[in-house]
Amino acid sequence: MRALATSLALLCAGCTGSQTVLAPMGPQAAQLNWLLWSFILICGIIWLLVMFVLVLALRYAAVPSQRGERRAAVIVGVSVAASALVIIVLTVMSYAATRGLSVAADDPLVIRLRGYQWWWEVTYTDRRPDRMLVTANEIHVPVGHPINIELSAADVIHSFWVPNLVGKQDLIPGRRNDLTFTASRPGVYRGQCAEFCGLQHAHMALLVIAEEPAAFEAWRDAQLQVARPPETIEQEAGRTFFVSQPCAACHTVRGTNAAGTLGPDLTHVASRRTIAAGLLETTRGSLAAWIADPQTIKPGNNMPMVTMTPEQLRAVSAWLVDLQ
Amino acid sequence: MLLIALALLACKREARELRTDPPATDALNGVVPMANRINGGLPRIFIAQGSPYENNAYQLGQGKRLYDWFNCKGCHANGGGASGPALTDGRWRYGPDPVSIFLTIRDGRPHGMPAFANRLTTEQIWQLTGYVRTMGAYSAQTAAPSRNDEMQSRPAENRAPAATEIRMPPSR
Amino acid sequence: MFAGLRPRRMLLCTAVLLASASGFAVSLQSSAASDIDVGNVGGMTLRLALPIRQTSGSAGRAIFDHDRLFVITPFPHSVLALNLARTDASVLWRYSPRADGMAAGLATGHVTTDGAVLSAGRLFLNTFDGHTIALDAATGGVVWDVAMADVERGETLLVAPLAIDDRIYIGNSGSDFGVRGWMAALNAATGRMLWKRYNAGPDVEVGIGEGFSSPYLPREPDLGVTSWPANAWQQGGGGLADAPIYDAPLGLLIHTTGHPAPMNAEQRPGANYFTSGLFARDALSGDARWFVPINPHDLYGFGAAGSLIPADIHWQGNNRAVLIHPDANGMVYVLDRSSGQILSAHPFLEVNASEGLDARSGTLRGNPAKAAHVNSTTRDICPAWPGATGGTARAAFAPQTGLLYIPVSRLCMDMEARQASFMPGTPYMGANLRIKPPRDSNRRGALLAWDVAAGRLAWSADESLPVESGVLATAGGVVFYGTLDGWFKAVDASSGRPLWQFHAASAIVGQPIGFQRADGRQYIAVAAGVGGAAGAVAQKEIDIRDATAARGYANAIRDLKPAATDGMLYIFSLP
Repeated sequence: MRALATSLALLCAGCTGSQTVLAPMGPQAAQLNWLLWSFILICGIIWLLVMFVLVLALRYAAVPSQRGERRAAVIVGVSVAASALVIIVLTVMSYAATRGLSVAADDPLVIRLRGYQWWWEVTYTDRRPDRMLVTANEIHVPVGHPINIELSAADVIHSFWVPNLVGKQDLIPGRRNDLTFTASRPGVYRGQCAEFCGLQHAHMALLVIAEEPAAFEAWRDAQLQVARPPETIEQEAGRTFFVSQPCAACHTVRGTNAAGTLGPDLTHVASRRTIAAGLLETTRGSLAAWIADPQTIKPGNNMPMVTMTPEQLRAVSAWLVDLQ
Repeated sequence: MLLIALALLACKREARELRTDPPATDALNGVVPMANRINGGLPRIFIAQGSPYENNAYQLGQGKRLYDWFNCKGCHANGGGASGPALTDGRWRYGPDPVSIFLTIRDGRPHGMPAFANRLTTEQIWQLTGYVRTMGAYSAQTAAPSRNDEMQSRPAENRAPAATEIRMPPSR
Repeated sequence: MFAGLRPRRMLLCTAVLLASASGFAVSLQSSAASDIDVGNVGGMTLRLALPIRQTSGSAGRAIFDHDRLFVITPFPHSVLALNLARTDASVLWRYSPRADGMAAGLATGHVTTDGAVLSAGRLFLNTFDGHTIALDAATGGVVWDVAMADVERGETLLVAPLAIDDRIYIGNSGSDFGVRGWMAALNAATGRMLWKRYNAGPDVEVGIGEGFSSPYLPREPDLGVTSWPANAWQQGGGGLADAPIYDAPLGLLIHTTGHPAPMNAEQRPGANYFTSGLFARDALSGDARWFVPINPHDLYGFGAAGSLIPADIHWQGNNRAVLIHPDANGMVYVLDRSSGQILSAHPFLEVNASEGLDARSGTLRGNPAKAAHVNSTTRDICPAWPGATGGTARAAFAPQTGLLYIPVSRLCMDMEARQASFMPGTPYMGANLRIKPPRDSNRRGALLAWDVAAGRLAWSADESLPVESGVLATAGGVVFYGTLDGWFKAVDASSGRPLWQFHAASAIVGQPIGFQRADGRQYIAVAAGVGGAAGAVAQKEIDIRDATAARGYANAIRDLKPAATDGMLYIFSLP
């Protein structure tokens, strides 16, 4: 009894939280949620019905007869028709519920999401190209505003899935998929790559942060600024090291000479909650650990281990953690 | 039964060395160039590790990715060359041995080859060296880099021997 | 004594230009004064052939002045002054600037040099490795030498300077390396910089202010910043694409801007001003007067390459000062020189990358089916990089026929955009390119005669290989051009009828020049020696099995024979 209660409690714990389909936080997710429950309900009823009939059939085995044959044929016919009807109804429901997912809304905020092994590049489009914004692994969205996500991939197939809001939809190299969603309540929702994409597939998470529109605009304006200049000598040394060493070949920090586009844009890396696609919380320590030995933390990822002295590591981490 | 057991023995997956210890990296960087800096001796650790940058498909595949990522194509195309010399034709200005190619990438060369010492790590330079050597190899190899995901413009890397002076009509 | 010599029987002057010739008496003097015209060009003979020791193409325009001929060889450069008054055309002086070898690896695309310019007894030249040098034309002594471009970042000086009064105008190249383009004026006496204006960035740095107006641009400040993703203009290319010109009555310096970097256009959404367009600047202050975006958001790396030809022509009933510009994108533009207004634009060959001009914006309507996308290959884009014309292929306009003679490449390409990462000093390109002949045809080049006033093709002379040489149209109604298979040809300017041809030792990508000596006789000079994009295929260490070699150009001209000889300088005249 105790065990049952515990497992029930555990199950229910899955009904809330930042990564569950059972707590829809937007109309699209709500639709999918409704669809899910409808399916469970209808299929559950049918399953019970079938079980009931099965029990009856086993219990009262009929004597073979001419009349029985004919009756059986009628029953089979009616059942087939009923099954077909149920399947058609479910198909129509499913179509109706998912149709809205890839239809562009009026005046949506268009965000491009590009999957890499193993992180997400997020690009906010704008009519003015200089107000376009590139960030990584974290999507900020204004609450109540329709979002159109353009999905593409750089290397292999990935899949975008933020259970509380929307999903899934694949990111496929060489083509574009579209997805529409709206977040109706502020919050932090976790997403996850839902298509096996290699060694670190499990460590390819992203966060969707839904904010009030004013907060979102403030965030966006802050992100559009170039990186803040270093304040201490140590930070200055960190920046010097960064722009003159392999770091700059792959990463962009706007406001410096580093303009590589092979890895995530680090202009405001410290404003993001996590690094390495949701693997570590952003702290100076985790940044230093990641730079010092990325292959132990996330084996197989494309960040190489750059040779540096402890002083250089301290300096670079001091600078990066200041890039708010 | 025995046959199946034997067959299963062949299912050994190639080891992927994802991480090189910093002391090993230092040792790999320790090539000893000759006075003319054209080539030099292989670091002993290269052999001690079993020459992974020559015969490990994962390392060659990484090299292929880096070749695309680090703008090698701008000058050397997909091996056919442009403002830089071709890499697939088996002619090497500084010889075909790994150390001279390593030095070419790390320190650059006169007449246009920039140094990549501050853009790539030692491990990456070796991966790239290994890949570049497969492009212009004189004999076929069992270890091949990964499949080409881009525009198919030339024979695959491990299809040795490198050849020169073959005149063909334009492909359509 | 020269009269009876036919080219094939003629002894070639064995002197390498780098040494003084001796012992061979070739008289360049002749008493018979005559002009080369349609009737007599067939009898033109070779007067002088000098081997030029060189490693890459010779696109330079030799300069004739007072019986001296100045020749600049490709990088690493040498400048030679030849004495035509002497029977052996001996070398008066020779100057070889110290060369930075790193520049050799930067010679993407048009691997050539553009020549020098002579003004007030001084010879001004740009070296490919970034120096602007003034030489005393009499002695070859260096007057001044300033470093203007940083080779370490991939920046070069490819286009020859322009000398106007006491000023020298130069512009940088290096769009393939993400070098921000600029135009500068130097004091001709001292080499001191008078002004420098960029081709992208904030208005102050571009030189846009009060006197600027353009019917084709939105009226907004700092377009050179706002039409790029944040900070992308800093490595956005846009160096000089072709030789600038000067309009004396208007006091305007008109120059082209190169293509934006990287070639992968999806990495730089926006119109990418002020790359790939035509700029008119006040020659004294450098302030911009007008700008025409020719290929905004350039998808194929065309830049606004193509000749700029000022002409005063009869246009729709009245005389007009126009600018004729055949562009790499396959269109002939006729613009008003004072305002930059586009008067007409017609395609001069078959193109599918664009679908005509949008009169309001002044730009081409792109064909979405031929746009290049990241990680997918778009096939059969016409014209191909490096453009239908431009670079070494310099057009000429003959006022008496009203025809524009355009050397063209009829090539198409497959293009796959790739993510490019900016690392200073390495190519910032982001594209796989495979160039090929057009479908159903192996006529890869032609000399076209374009009726500017009527906006239609008058005649064309097809060639098997792309025509990469400059064109010379003489007052005698003859048009000279060279081909990649080594023919130097003369055709009738009005009909295209072949009149004369000469087989040179190597492909011709140079600019033929005509000059008249004191005796009144006309001479034609041209340098042979394969160069440009084709030169990369014939001379560099290229493996043509790779269809993307030489940025795809190797695939288009796989049948071009490797150049075996050094370049040659030829001088022709009537017997």
